[in-house]
Parts: sequence; structure tokens; C-alpha cells
Amino acid sequence: MSSEPDDRATSKSPEALVDVGLLKEIARKALVDALNSVNGAKTLVLDASLAGPLGLVTEVSLLKHHGVDKMFWLEPGSLSATTPNIVYLCRPMIKYVKIIADHIKRYAKESRKHTYTLFLVPRISTLITRILEEEGVLGDVTISSYNLQFVPLADDVVSLEHENAFKDLWVDGDETVIYDSAQALTTFQKLYGLFPRIVGKGDGAARLATLLSRETPKSSTSSSPDTLLTPSEKIDSLIVLDRRVDMITPLLTQLTYEGLIDELIGIKNSHVELPASLLSPPAPPAASAAGPSTSPPTSTVPLPSLKKDAKKKHHLTTTTDPLFEELRDLNFSSVGRKLNRVARRLDEDYRTNLQSKTVAQLRDFVGKLGGLQTEHQSLRLHTGLSELLVPLTRTEQFNKSLEIQQNLLASYDVSAQISAIEEMIAQGADMQVTLRLLCLASITSGGIKAKTLENIKREILQAYGYNYLPLLLSLASPSLGILLPNPLPANAPLSLTALKYPFTTLRKSLRLLIDDTPEGIDEVENDISFTYSGYAPISIRLVQCVAQKGGVISNPAEKAESDADGKRAAPQGKVQAQPIVGWKGFEDVVAAIPGATVDIVQPGTTGRVPLIASLLEPREHATTTVVFFLGGCTYTEIAALRWVGRQNRGRKFLIATTGIISGASIIDSIAGVGKAAGGSAAI
Amino acid sequence: AVLSLDEASRSMDPGAKLAAVKAAQKFFSDDKDRAFEAKMMDESTHLLTLQQQLEKEADGKVEFFGKSVNETINLCLLNGMSKRADKIKSEFKVSDKRFWYLKLHALTALRDFEALEAF
Repeated sequence: MSSEPDDRATSKSPEALVDVGLLKEIARKALVDALNSVNGAKTLVLDASLAGPLGLVTEVSLLKHHGVDKMFWLEPGSLSATTPNIVYLCRPMIKYVKIIADHIKRYAKESRKHTYTLFLVPRISTLITRILEEEGVLGDVTISSYNLQFVPLADDVVSLEHENAFKDLWVDGDETVIYDSAQALTTFQKLYGLFPRIVGKGDGAARLATLLSRETPKSSTSSSPDTLLTPSEKIDSLIVLDRRVDMITPLLTQLTYEGLIDELIGIKNSHVELPASLLSPPAPPAASAAGPSTSPPTSTVPLPSLKKDAKKKHHLTTTTDPLFEELRDLNFSSVGRKLNRVARRLDEDYRTNLQSKTVAQLRDFVGKLGGLQTEHQSLRLHTGLSELLVPLTRTEQFNKSLEIQQNLLASYDVSAQISAIEEMIAQGADMQVTLRLLCLASITSGGIKAKTLENIKREILQAYGYNYLPLLLSLASPSLGILLPNPLPANAPLSLTALKYPFTTLRKSLRLLIDDTPEGIDEVENDISFTYSGYAPISIRLVQCVAQKGGVISNPAEKAESDADGKRAAPQGKVQAQPIVGWKGFEDVVAAIPGATVDIVQPGTTGRVPLIASLLEPREHATTTVVFFLGGCTYTEIAALRWVGRQNRGRKFLIATTGIISGASIIDSIAGVGKAAGGSAAI
Repeated sequence: AVLSLDEASRSMDPGAKLAAVKAAQKFFSDDKDRAFEAKMMDESTHLLTLQQQLEKEADGKVEFFGKSVNETINLCLLNGMSKRADKIKSEFKVSDKRFWYLKLHALTALRDFEALEAF
């Protein structure tokens, strides 16, 4: 199988990941091409939801370089464009097109000549042309598409940045997302070769997989590169997970550093809004070099005043911020310790450097100073950020909901938990917090008693307003079914009964809960359950079922535990990555979860069919497994997957998703309609 | 039904809103599996009409319309209409626990420590 002549995998270092930078290049190039296709200076009108993803691929300067004169948000109302060309860039949504049509008509009235170009992301839809036709402006617009696909968020995470994927799929039943994902994955295969094997779980995943495998031969008839025809050398499989397969994980509060930031402050397109005082150094860098002993100013400022500060967007990325890379996947409880350690080290670095005497040493020091300062600054940022988080994690609401979550996961006295939720509603806790808990209760215990459920629904509607009734309805709808009465009404559709989630059996078979022994977090840290302080995300356990079977059944670190130190898996704990053999060994478990199961071997269409057996052999060189979350994944799941990746030698995970989600964003997106309307009704 | 609800939440005009919610109620009551939703909508219309009354009583100084039950009770308490609040409580079968929390918050907000003491 290594007879492939252009085996680039071996030329790179064996542990190297698939280079996602390529994807960024593609996206950037496509944008430039799109812009260049319009001659002359142009005004760019952007759909606000695209700005974030675009910001990850390009910079404003690049746009300026390609003739963009001014940029506007796509908003209703008049547009003051000065250039003859107007370029619209938006997702194909009806409301946007209406605005565009309105703009065009307005200008037509003023009889000003503009050339309109509309780029739809990621592709043209007939619906849009139809609307433009109805509005009578189709003739004036050139419609084209800008194919924005995977956007790299980190060097091992790529995302479609499709915010509403979850709602589209399971509330509205809109499956464009699946198609778009298939398209994006096909592009991916064009770059890196065919996924030798596709393993998946869930109905949506099954549809995606069939789309993918059908797509491939079709496009190979055209002049496609032969990468589409031969199985990839670098990638050993694609694991597709449907979000429906694991609804529990996103409903829980994320407890890793990055996840917690997302929960409490919110990360959007990997940007986080922070008080400006955190980001810009209060004094010139020379002063800040005075020593880390001066605590960051934020510590003395009380929180409320911080909140009022001007918010500034900060790009959370590991390329410029190595400290963040160390921190992001840690359980929040250990972040403080880590920060402390880094601060101490920095302090020492400064001190040893100050003791330097000779000129050479001094020069050395000055050379290092720049690095130290950036490190210092990022330390300051993260200390400040954690200080922002800490008071939020100390609130009664936060702790109460955590407690309820843990109890529900252990199925401990469910009815008591439900009355605890009721109490939280009574105390005026956030709507999404209580609803998350309620859904969690429903899933883990297989439904809430009809009478109780009705009561609690009443409480919710009364407390938060009757306009949330549609939200409750869609949560209970057959396609989603995460808020259900138990027993189900006799006349419930079959699809609903089939959806019942076998949580209690899964908890045993997938070893989801780790006992919180007094030894505490340290032990939990040796399993992916560190991410939720004792609970292992089902989705990641499923990935382990495919890629690291040993990790599911027993804690890989437990073997090392016999050593004196016990902690931090000893070298022998690091097993050679198993070859991908599908769900083997876990068929029963996987079958118990509702939804179709997928396992396709893509042999490629060239004669060189790799024998299955060769796939089964442990590979010499490192491979990458792509894990695609249909419907979004949480930061915590990413953290857990990274952890699994670190446990294996020879396998890396590349995480692909339709978007980053959290429980709050799920509930909010479903409530979306009611919320916006509720706001307007209150006026 | 959901559509007319959507319409209801969007329409500003009290009359139209009421009509839309009533329409939704009718749709729900047509389906016998949706008894709960129908009942809720019933309550919703009831609340809306009540809020209209309240607004009249408060001489339009306070905006009640379109608020949730909790917010309505809270407003009543804040504006010294505790009788009305008690009435809403009984009409909507608000649980004691929730009502006391509301009252507690409202009284604290008012700094009405005598009443707080009394209760």
C-alpha cells in the first residue's frame, strides 16, 4: 500500500497532521477569484453572519487589495454606495434577498446605474432566483456563488460555521446542511484522497455517507484529480456522528477552559468578546515588563464595572498564543494551577535574565525579551479571563445546575431533580438553563411523567412567557424528541417511540460515568471524562469504539496506576493506534442507539483496490482520522477528542463540524423565532 | 397553529394579538392530543385581557401587555397592586414557591422592609 509514488505523507514528519491550511487557502483563493470576476472598484455588502467565518480566512487588507472600496452590512434601509459595482455576499436566505431587491429598486428609482453581483454562500439556489424574479430585479443581478466550505478554527478543527445547522436539520427538517457537508467533504477528499472507510451513526450521518459515496464516482467521470479515485494514504477513515446520537453532551455545562468561556461569555467564530481593558496593555510594554508580581489590573476592578467596559473582540487562537493551547482543553478546576505555574516560570525567567552579566548574556536576554513579553501578555489575558469566569462559576445557579446535571447522569432520584428544576424556574433562573436541565432529565430517564411534565411546562410558560410554546412544541416534536412525557401517549407516532434513548444501558456499556472518588480530578484526568468532571461524552466514547477500543472498556491509565506515581499515563499506556475496523466489538451497543449505522469501505475506482486485510494491518506511519459532527460539536468534545488522540501513537484526529455549539446555543436557536418576536412584542 | 402563534407574537396591536392567540387556541383544541397546548393558549388569552385591564387601572403608566405571568405579578407588586397580584396568583394557579420568590424579589427591590418583615 505504500507503493504510491507521490506519497507525501512520508516526506513529512510521521506525526504531522493533515494540513488544514490548504482549506484556508482554497477559501481565500475562491474569494479573491470571486471578487476579481467583478471589474473595477466595488462596494461589498456582507451578510453579518458571514463576517465571522470570512474573518478567519482573509483580512480586510486583502479585500481592499482586490478592489473593495467600502464594506457594509446587509441591512434593510438605504445603501450609500459610491462605486459603480455593488457586490453582495450572503447566505441564500429569503430575508437577505428581499433586502437586496429593495436596494436595487431604490437605486432604480433614483435612476442611478449600478452593476449588481450577488455571491451566494455556499451555492446558488433556485429559490433565490425565483424570489428575485418575483421582485422583478432578476435581470439586473449577476448571480454567482462563493463556495465557502470548511474554515479551519484551529490546526485540528475545521468547521462549516453553519450556525443553525442543528435547528435546520432537526427542527425544520431542512437537509441542505447535509448536502453542503457532503460537498465540503468531497472537496476534502479531492485534496487528500478518498476516505478509505466511512463509519457513522445516526440517520443524518447515514444520509451524508450515502451522499458522499454516491458523489464520488459521479465526479470522477469529469476531469477530477486522481486523488478522488484512490484511497487516501494519510487519512484512514471518516467517522460521521449525527448530533442526535448524543444529545446529552451538549446539554451539559462544559467544564473545560475553552468550553466554559463559550458557555459563560460566548465564543463566536473563535472570537470572544472581552472587556477592552483585558486586551490592551494598560501601560507601554516597558512598564509591563516591570514584573509579573504586579497583578493584572482586572483583579482589583469589581466585575460589574468590567462589564460596562467597551467590549472588544479577541481572536482566540493558538498560533499567536501558545499558552492558550495548553489551557484550552484543561478542566477549569486545574486552569488556575496551570496559570500559577506559568506565572512562576515567567517570573523566574525574568529574574535569571536580570542577573545576566556579560554582554553576550545580555544580548541573549534582549532577544528573548520579545518572546517573554508576548507570553506575559497572554498570561495576563488568560488570568483576567479566568477571573471573569470564576465569579460566574460561583453563582448559585451555576452550581445548582451542575449538581442537578450530575445527579441526572447518575439517575439519582430523578423526581427530586425535577422539583429542583422547578425551584430554579421559581427563582427566575435563565430560560435556557432550566430548559437544558429539563431536556436532560427527559433524555436520561426516558421521559418525564406526563403529569409532572405538564406542570413544569406550565411553570415555564408562566415564568418566561407564553411565546415559548412553539419552542416547547419543537423540543417534543418527533424529529427532535428531547422533551417527552413518559409513558408516551398511546397514539404517539412510531418514530417517537423508536427514538427512546437507552441511556442507562449505555452508561454501563460505554462506561460513561467515572466515580468521583476522593482522589478527585487527578484520576478523572486520565480519561476523557475529565472534560465534564466525571462524565464521558457519548459521542467521543463512540469515536473510541471505532478508534481506541481499549479506552472504552477500561481506563488506559489504570494499568499504569500500579506504578507508584499512578498519574499521567506511563509510556506503556500509549498504545499503537488500532486500525479502523468499523464498529466491531460494539455492534450491540451501537445498535441500541437509535438511528442508522453506517460502515462503508470506499475502495476507489482505480484498479488498485486495497485489500481489506491491508487496512486491518497496523499502520507504520501516522494516519489521521477525520471525525465529522453533523449538527455541531462542543468545545469540550474537541478537547476530549484531542485527549484520545494523545493517547494513541500513530493516529491524529481532525475534527470537522458544521459549527461549534453549546446547549445554550441549541436552545436559543430553536427559540430563535420566539425570542426575536418576544423582543418586538415587548416594545 | 404555530404559524398563528408566530403571527401573534409579532403583531403589536393588542386586538390583533389577542385574535391571533385565540386562533391558535382554536387550532390546538381541534386536535385532541393538544389539550395541554389549548389550555395554555386559553390562559394566554386570559392573561392578555387581564393585562389590558391592569393597564387601564394603572392609567397606562405601567406596561403590562405581552408580559409573562411572572413579570406581570412582579409589576403588580412593584406598583403597589398587591391585591391584584394575589388575584393573579390564584387565577393562574401559580405555585406558592414561585409566588413567594417573586414577592421576595419585588419587596427587596422596593426596599419595603416592613412588608418583608411581616412575611
